[in-house]
Formats: sequence, C-alpha cells, structure tokens
Amino acid sequence: MSAIFADHLLSWMIAVPFIGIAALAIVRGRSGIVITALVTTLVEALLALRLWIGFDSAEKGMQYVERMEWMPTFGIQYAVGVDGISILLVLLTAVLCPLCVLASWNSITTRVRAFMMLILLVEGAMMVVFTALDAFLFFMLWEVTMIPMYFMIVLWGGPDRVAAGLKFVLYSLTGSLFLLVGILGLSLQADTFDIQSLAGAAYSPESQLWIFVALFLGFAIKLPMLPFHTWLPDAHSEAPTAGSVLLAGVLLKMGGYGLIRFCLPIFPEVSSQFAPFVLWLSIAAILYGGYMALAQSDLKRLVAYSSVSHMGFVTLGIFSFNSEGIEGAILQMVTHGITTGALFLMVGQLYDRTHSRSMADYGGLHKRMPRFVAVLSLFVVASFGLPATSNFIGEFLILVGVSYEHFIFVVLAMGGIVLGAAYMLWMLQRVALGEPRTEAARGLTDLSVREMITVIPLAIAVFGIGVYPGPFLEAMDSTVLFVVEQFEQAGLAITTPE
Amino acid sequence: MSIYTLIPLLPLGAAFTVALFGQRLQGVGHRIVIPAVAGSFFVSIAAFVDVLENGTIEVSLYRLLDVGSLVVDLGFFIDSLTVLLLLLVTGVSTVVQVYSSRYMIGDARHSRFFAVTALFTAAMTILVMSSNLLLTFIFWEVMGLCSYLLISHYAERRSAYRAATKVFLVNSIADVGLLIGVILTYHAFGTLNIPEILSMAKAGVDIPTHVITALTLCLFAGAIGKSAQMPAHVWLPLAMEAPTPVSALIHAATMVNAGPFLLVRLSPVIVLSPTAMTVIAAIGAVTALFAAIVSLTQTDVKRTLAYSTISQLGFMTLLCGVGAFVAAIFHLLAHGFFKAFLFLSTGNILAATHRHVETPGEEPPGSQGAIFAGALLLSVLPPLVIFSGPYRHLWLSQNFSAANIALWIIGLGTVFFTAMTIAKTATSVFRKGPPGASDGNARVMPTLFSVKHVVGVLLALGALVSLLLLVWSWLAVFLSPSVGVASEVAAAPSSGFSAWILLPIAIGIAGWAVAYAGTGRRRSAETEWKKRLYVFFLNKGYFDEIYDVYIVRPTIALAGWLWRVIDQGIIDRFIVSLGPASVNVSRWLWKVVDLGLIDRLVVAVGSRSVGVAQRMDVFGRGRTAKNAERVGRALDVSGRTPQAFQPRTLQHDLLIVVFWLAVALGFFYWIA
Repeated sequence: MSAIFADHLLSWMIAVPFIGIAALAIVRGRSGIVITALVTTLVEALLALRLWIGFDSAEKGMQYVERMEWMPTFGIQYAVGVDGISILLVLLTAVLCPLCVLASWNSITTRVRAFMMLILLVEGAMMVVFTALDAFLFFMLWEVTMIPMYFMIVLWGGPDRVAAGLKFVLYSLTGSLFLLVGILGLSLQADTFDIQSLAGAAYSPESQLWIFVALFLGFAIKLPMLPFHTWLPDAHSEAPTAGSVLLAGVLLKMGGYGLIRFCLPIFPEVSSQFAPFVLWLSIAAILYGGYMALAQSDLKRLVAYSSVSHMGFVTLGIFSFNSEGIEGAILQMVTHGITTGALFLMVGQLYDRTHSRSMADYGGLHKRMPRFVAVLSLFVVASFGLPATSNFIGEFLILVGVSYEHFIFVVLAMGGIVLGAAYMLWMLQRVALGEPRTEAARGLTDLSVREMITVIPLAIAVFGIGVYPGPFLEAMDSTVLFVVEQFEQAGLAITTPE
Repeated sequence: MSIYTLIPLLPLGAAFTVALFGQRLQGVGHRIVIPAVAGSFFVSIAAFVDVLENGTIEVSLYRLLDVGSLVVDLGFFIDSLTVLLLLLVTGVSTVVQVYSSRYMIGDARHSRFFAVTALFTAAMTILVMSSNLLLTFIFWEVMGLCSYLLISHYAERRSAYRAATKVFLVNSIADVGLLIGVILTYHAFGTLNIPEILSMAKAGVDIPTHVITALTLCLFAGAIGKSAQMPAHVWLPLAMEAPTPVSALIHAATMVNAGPFLLVRLSPVIVLSPTAMTVIAAIGAVTALFAAIVSLTQTDVKRTLAYSTISQLGFMTLLCGVGAFVAAIFHLLAHGFFKAFLFLSTGNILAATHRHVETPGEEPPGSQGAIFAGALLLSVLPPLVIFSGPYRHLWLSQNFSAANIALWIIGLGTVFFTAMTIAKTATSVFRKGPPGASDGNARVMPTLFSVKHVVGVLLALGALVSLLLLVWSWLAVFLSPSVGVASEVAAAPSSGFSAWILLPIAIGIAGWAVAYAGTGRRRSAETEWKKRLYVFFLNKGYFDEIYDVYIVRPTIALAGWLWRVIDQGIIDRFIVSLGPASVNVSRWLWKVVDLGLIDRLVVAVGSRSVGVAQRMDVFGRGRTAKNAERVGRALDVSGRTPQAFQPRTLQHDLLIVVFWLAVALGFFYWIA
C-alpha cells in the first residue's frame, strides 16, 4: 500500500482533485459540499507537503518520475515528474486552493457544487501542467485550465462578467493556438513529445526562430506581457474572489513556467538573441503596469495592474540567463502568487461586506476593522517588496541577475519599485486611514476567525521566505544551474560580477 | 550564537509579543517593552566594555542567499563605531520608552505604539551592527516602515496620514539609490560583506575611481533620504505629526543618524573618491545653512526643532565630506542624546502651548527653561571641535582652495544662525507673562537672560567646551580603527585646544546677541527685500510646493493619461476591435465566398444535376437519375445550411476560433 502511495505520489496528487469532483457529485447539502471541497484541497496540500519533504535538492533532474504509454502511435505518454523549477509552483497551487475554498465559504451563494467542482478542476489541471513531462499532456491540460476559469467569471462574476469572460477566452485561445503551433512544430522536428528530449534535439535554423516566437507568444499572453495584458484587469476584477486568486496566484505562472521549461532550454541561442527585446519589454511592463495601477480607483483593478508590473520582473529575471535572475524569477512567481492572492482575498473580504470594489467607498477602516488593516498592511508592504518579505528576495535576486546584462535595467526597474510603493500606500491610505467616507464603511465588522485563517498562512509564508529563503532557493539551485550551464557553455551569458 | 544577538532580539521579541497579544494587554505594552529595551541597553554596555578591551567582535548568524556567485552571509560586526551607536540607540530608546509610558496613557493605539517603537529599536541596532550591506539595507527599510507606522499613529488625522505616505515615498525614492549602490558595490568588490569591503578598500583595491565615485554617490543618495539632506529634507518636518516621543526617538536622535553612520561606516571606501567627498561636503553644507535659516523663521516649536535637526545633520554630512569622520560621530552622539532630551522636555511644554512659539501659556519654571536652553545649546555645540586644533588644516592646508573657504564660511554661518534660533526659541517659549500684556512699546524681557544668567551661561559654556574637547580627544583615539583616513586629519588627534575654536564661539555669541536684541521689536521697519527673503524662508524655500507641482501631480496625471489614452484607448480598443474585425471577416467570407461562390456553385451543380437527372430520365428513367437528384438535393441543402447561421455570441466565438485555427494551420504548414 505504501509503495503504491510513495511510487505514485504525483499521480495521486493529480487524481485527488478529480476524486474530489466525483465525491462532490454525490454529496448533498451546502455544508457537505464545501467541507468535501475543503477536505480534498487539504489532502492535496498534505500530499504536496509530503512531496516537498521527499524532494532531493541536490538532484538536478526530474524526481518522482512516472511514465505510461498513452498514445503510442504518436509517441505521446502520460509522463509526470517534478524538479527544482516546478516543485515550488506545485506547492503554491496546493496551498492556495484550500484558501480559495475557504474564501468562497459564504460568498458563493448559488450553484455551490458547480463552483467547488471548478476550483478542484483548476487545481487538478494545474498539477498536471506543472508536472507534465510530455508536451502534449502539458498542452492539453493548459487548455483545460481555461474552461473552469471562463465559467467562474461568467457565472459568478461581477456586473461586467460576460464581456470579461469573453475577452479572457479569446485571449487565451489565441495564445493557445500559438502554443499549439509551437509544440507541434517542436515535436515534428524532434520526433518526440518528451519535454526533456526536446531540449537536446536538432532543429533547423529557420524553424527555430518561428517555433520560438510561437511558443513565446503563447506564454507571453498567459503571463501576460505588455501589450497582451488587457484581458487581465477585466478578468481579475470581474471574477469572484476565488477566481481572482487562482488567476493571479497560479494561472499566470503557467506563462513564466513555460518560458523556463520550453523556451530557455530548447532554444538558448534564439532566446539570447531575443533577450534585449524581452528585457526592454519587461522594463516597459514594470513601469507601465505601475502607472496603470496608480490611475485606478477600483481595488481589484489596482491589484491586477500591479500583477502586470510584477510579471515584468519575472521576465526580466528569466531573460538574464543566470542563476540569480532565474531563481529570482521563480521566487518572484511564487511570492507574487502568495501576496497578490492574499490581496485579492482581502479585497474579497471587503467586497463580501459592502459589494463595492471602489476605494472611494471605504476609508477609516482602521477603526472598525483593526485586524483587517493590520493584515492588509502586511501584504501591502510585501507587495511593493519591502525587505524582510519574500518579494524583496525575489526582486533583489532579479536585479542582481539583470545587473550582469546591463545596469540600465536595474535603474529603470527600480522605478517600478517606487511606483509600487506609491500606488500601494495610496491604496492603503484611501482604504484604511482617515475617516470612513460612506455609511457602509462605518458599520463594518472585523475579520472572522475563518477569514483570519484564510490569510494568516500566507502572511507567515511571505515573511518566512523573506527571512529564511535558504531551503526554497536551494531546492531550485541544481536544476536552474543545469539550465544556466547551457548558456554559459555557449558563451551566451555573463554570470559573475566584473 | 553570541550574547550580543540579544541586543536586537530582546526588543524584537517584545515587539512581536505586544503586537500579537496587544489587544489583550491593552494599556500595559510598555511593561514588556521597557525591560526588553533596557536589557538591550545593558548588553550594549557589555559590548562596549568588550570592544574597549578586546577590539572588534564578529558574530555570524546564517546564510541568507547562496545563488550563483552571490553569497550573502548575515552577521554582526561590532567595532568601536558600532558600540557607540548601540549605546546611543538603546540608551535613548530606554529613556524615551519610560517617558512614553506616561505620555501615551489612555491612547487608543497604545500597544501598536509600543510594538512599533520596540521594532524600531531592534531594527536600528541590527542596522548599526550589520556586517553585510544587504542586511543594512533590509533594516534601513524596516526603520522606514516603523517611521511610517508611527507618523500615521493618529490615523484619523488627515495631515498625519498624508504626511506618513509622503515621508515613505520620499524615502523610497532615495532608497532606490541605496539599493543601486549596494548592487554596484557587489559588482565592484565582489562581495557585500562589510569587513571584507573595508579591508579591501584600506589595502587599496584596483577599482577605477569613477566606479567608486558612482557607488559612493548612490549609497549617499540613501543617506540623503534617511538623514533629510537637501533635496529630500522635506520629509522631516512632516514627520513631526508623530507623537512627540517618536519625534525624539526616531526623528531627532536615532534613525536620522543612519546617513552619517553609513558614511562613516564605509569611510575607507568613500575617501577613495575625492569627487564623491566634494559632493557630500557640498550637500551637507548647503543643507546645514539653509535649514538653519529656515528654522529661524518657523513659528511651530516642533518644526523649528525639526529644521534645526536637519541643519545639524547637514553639519555631520559636511564633516564626513571633509574627512572629519571622528568629529561627525562625536557630533552625532552628542546631538542624538541632547536632541532627544530636548524633545522630551518640549513634550510637556507643547501640551500647554499648543505647539506655537508665539502663544506661551503657563510660565514654565526657570530651572526647566535653563535645562531646555542648555540642551539646545549642547545639541549644536559639538561641531565646533571642527574648528579646533587638529582640523585647522582642513581649512588652512596648502591646498587652501575656494571650495574650502566656502565650506568654512558656510560652517560659521550655520553656527551664527543656529545660535540665533536657540536664542529666539528659548526667549519665545519662556517669555514671561501673557502675550496680551506686551502691547505697544512694552518690551518683555525674558528673565532667563538677565546679566547673571549670561555670565553663568558663559562660564558653563567654557567648562563644557573644555569637557567636550577632552571627551573628543579620547573618542578620536577610540574610533580611529573604524574610520577611513582621508588626509593627515586623524593622525594627530590629541593636539587639543587651539585658539581657532574661539572664532565659532564668538560668532555664536554674536548670533545670540543679534537675536536677543531683536526680541520684541516690531518688524514694520523692514525693507521689501528683507520681507521677501523672510517669506521665502518662512515657506521653507517652497520645496514642498515645487515637488507637488513638478513631480507628484505630473506623475498622477501621466498615470491617468496613460490609462485612459494608451491602455483603454489604444491597446484595449485595438484588441477588442479584433473581435468584431474577425466577425466582419467571417461575415465577408460567408457572404462573398460562401453564399456568393460556393453556395451558388453548389446550387448550380445541384440544379444542373436535377436537370441532368431529368434528361437522363428521358433516356433511361433508371436509378441513376433518382440518385443524382438525391445527391443534388442533398448538396443543395448542405449548401444552404450556412444561411441559418445567425451571428450570435457563441457563433461569433466559434467563427473566430475557426478563423484563427485556419491561420495557425497555414502557419504551421508553412514552417513544417
């Protein structure tokens, strides 16, 4: 029994959400449904913990590998495994999902069963995306994540949900098509769908460029990079709380993950040719996202635009092609998932009370909701990368990484940090300080125990990683070094200070 | 783990305890914080004795980062400079916490106040002990956060929370410079470990001077922010929105000293770049003089003190810039202790006078007034050592340049205006009698400044100057291993007193006399330009207004414009219009190609087939004809099916998907 469990841990992690969905179909009653969903996600989180404990940081290749023939005619396998790049994203997904269930406890009033099923579906699909070793499997589940998100937005979203959902689907589909083209192009040339074998295969020079561009566009739309970002504020702000958390916390990371998993190892030369372009685009995204956030009056849109800025840091780190930059980028993805997830959770807690996302409707919350304001302040300072939070570690590593490329990027990216401080503190000032501006804001109640449980683990994670990032960075170290070595050997990257 | 880790851990533990259980401990937070901070003070004394006897102590904690070639080991580096700062920080913290335990009675956010001040003490002690520049930066920012939280203590007050945000933002802009400086230092030295950097700098590293200049100036940008040097000085007066004990602790005695501390800590690096030294000296000098004049014109006691703090910090920066690092630290310590004391003694008076110099309330006791004046004097006196023996060649060496003379004159000018401020503040606060009585030509003479007092003050002054010089010559020896040597400055620290020191004292007394003579005199006789100058300085040189008009508003306007015009107007509209555009393309395809071409063709084929079938009927009337007719009909039906295809939402989507799929397939076909 234990062998079945231990040898197939990843398959169990993939199966558990689907078992949960099956169970949800049978369970009756509202409380039964939410408890089943919560238990499923908690079991998943425990499995993820087991995965993390058993993970060997020294190993640079894949661990917990499982392979099975699926469609032998096309060379398509069911193959999963984790390495230093994916383990943290798997953990992040497993941690955020129970909190999403908790956040939807009271706020989802209609079709609870369907909603919980969708959360579990996203979770299961994400697990496969982050662990897939087969490009076809990866792409299939990549597509699957889109469907539950669409329904979450359209069925439980805000007033403008239909347009937002449509925009989300159109963007995602466009991205997926590019991705499909890229992956088919890869596998036709390399004659395999196995992701690890794809890296070593030979590609004709002219096709390299086009496959890279197709893959890059696919990932860039999901990430999203400038100028493909306009789906994000709409989708984030119209989605229900759990939807926003999943979108910002996990789904965006598929883009960054794809860049590190596909673009860098498979096409090091093309990547480094494109690097200046991507780096400048990242800088533009960092500053532009910051300015956008500064102009918002809607809480959720503000957080959404801040994601654009933070994702700019991720691509900045990835395309500096050294350990500092890439590890910083992965950490930034994880930490952005935590912080932005938490910010969406907290905005959702306010929305549950007043059904308003406008900052003008709040003010002076420190009086009626001291606990809320204390926790919100933690995530606000984390979001603009105050030292001693994990965000700072991520951003610092990215800045050091990109400083090997050119110092101008460091200086410009700093502008994004200042803008971050500006929009976040102004948000805090308008929402939490001063006197309440509306009658509704005057009569608010502070966070309940359930709501505290929803956000406190994230606060602990943010400061825990910020103060002691060692184990997390160590977990990525050998795998990232493996990627970076390709660039070093080809003489494509500078990885030591002058 | 060393016992000295307790210095930050005690206040840190207290801070977390009070923060977590504050609501249950309402009103008793100080009972946890005071012992912790006092304990930290006693451990600091132990550290002082240890350093005095055994020299530098190094404590290593743990490895924060080990990524690629970047290794960051956290640890403490306790040398003579550090212990002095530790004594200042923990000592002042203890006194201020004891004071606050009374001052904050009944405050609604009692626990929050004590938690944050304790956190601040922990952060500042870590900052001064840090052996790694990244650790320094981390706690540099944490101190800024504490400052933010304390300025917004009276969170319902508009001026308070607006000030808090502004203070944090001004600092975060400056801290960008600091972080860039940290990364540059890493590039230049290959490490962030402070002792290693210092020994490399002392041994003479092979780093181009322009790199050193760049990194020094970047680090100095951080110091400009934290120590309120021009042009970032605007935040310190705003910070006076915090409760008065905080003004004493953070915004006068400790946190603001981080700038000069950083300069002295990295002095062996800084002295390698004469350009950077010149810039530092110039900014310090300008700040010192400007703030001294502004403080003379302010009507609010706390704001006067804030500008006087800025001025004195400018003086410290000036001292660093001319290479007088020991004197800078000496001034820093003296100013820190006495300014804290000054703020605390003001705290009580302020409650009575509602912060306004011009509206004295109850007559304060003479002794308290004397203490007040004395503290004010002491807090500004120590820089005078710069004019004493060892430093005279700073001004009068063979390269006696115009810049040196300018700095010298500015230094003396600052002394003059500072003396005026002291006199004015003291006389205003302790003016005898209610203001209503001083109408007409009746001059109200402050009792504090009778002849007897003046003589007494002069005697005390002489004694103090001698004492200061004595302390200073000890300090110069004690600190010498920690500081970089710019010239032969610190080589002869014990040459002590010289006649040069009489010059600034004389100028100071002149300033005092001018202010005293002006007390109570009406300003009606002043000329126009004098009035304008006065208004200029009264408005603090219009820095706040300039920043508001040229930086803050344009930034917000730009953000709004970018969002409306670029994001909504161009990018989003373009993307959204792709939807209708694809629908239009599909519709065109449907109308022209599908209906116009294929459908017509099919229909034509169909009807032809029917015709053929009918004709065949003539010949054979067999199965062939019927079958052909069937095929024709079927084709006809299939050809007409698209007509039922109304452009509804779902169908739109499908059409777009099909369209893109076709594009992608074409693309794919081409690359394969």
